[in-house]
Amino acid sequence: MEGMRRVAAGNLANGFCFIGAGGHHAGRNFFGGYCCYNDVVIAIRQARRMKRLRRVAILDTDAHHADGTWDLVADDPDVLHVCVCGAEYTSADGSKVDVAAPDPWALEGSPDEAYLDVVRTAFPARAARFRPDLIVWYFGFDTHQGDYGDLGLTSAAFLGLADLMLESAAQECGGKLLVVLGGGSRTDIATALIPPVIGRLAGIVQPSAYTLDT
Amino acid sequence: MVVGRAVGITGIFYHPSFSRRSYLTTGRRLADFPGALASLLKHPRVALCECPSATDELILLAHDPGLIPQVEADPL
Repeated sequence: MEGMRRVAAGNLANGFCFIGAGGHHAGRNFFGGYCCYNDVVIAIRQARRMKRLRRVAILDTDAHHADGTWDLVADDPDVLHVCVCGAEYTSADGSKVDVAAPDPWALEGSPDEAYLDVVRTAFPARAARFRPDLIVWYFGFDTHQGDYGDLGLTSAAFLGLADLMLESAAQECGGKLLVVLGGGSRTDIATALIPPVIGRLAGIVQPSAYTLDT
Repeated sequence: MVVGRAVGITGIFYHPSFSRRSYLTTGRRLADFPGALASLLKHPRVALCECPSATDELILLAHDPGLIPQVEADPL
């Protein structure tokens, strides 16, 4: 909540939010999947109440469908919600979108490139049409090789996603990007991956971190 | 060295409790933090911000009142 408030107000260029428990599986009257409260939706509603923003575009790249967030924003036309998961769906107004992540076992090429292609197709153009005041990237690393939602991704995919989201935010909302940590369980992956993602947000070169593969 | 479009400060929102009991599948995924951020935090364009607690009033912006005791009673 504090991160969205400060980025929306322009006190920070962008932000990265660590979490104590997940958020995107928490709906209005249910919770689960190791999520308790929907931090992103609470933050949006608080920021709106403070007149900091109105329209928010969310990209969710956690391995699992954001059923809680979907429940809370389904009737909110001022939230664009694009979820890369296991389904294909587009709401009538085009503001709620599920896109299927590529199956790494059926690919001939790189899982990283295939995943980035899906996101490039699903998010930037929709965000441009939607014209958000701020963009949220719900960043799960559970899709990393060896974690519990393994889609064959390496660190290169996540750094590519960071660049893509920075570019979208720069073009659509003055760079206002909030990255919220989602799923992922391995300490070694978190330790190797999260600092360079934050480094990208800050525009700091960290070449030694770019070659991680687990 | 600074590259890219970033102008201004990148805020990192964190609380020490996240590293003691973060993401309940393992509980320790952030065990190396905030130490893993040490080099980043030396940069003048990166700031560490402690997350304040969320009040019930804030939680109720998104959730039914009945959810709070359910979460509090959950053994996880």
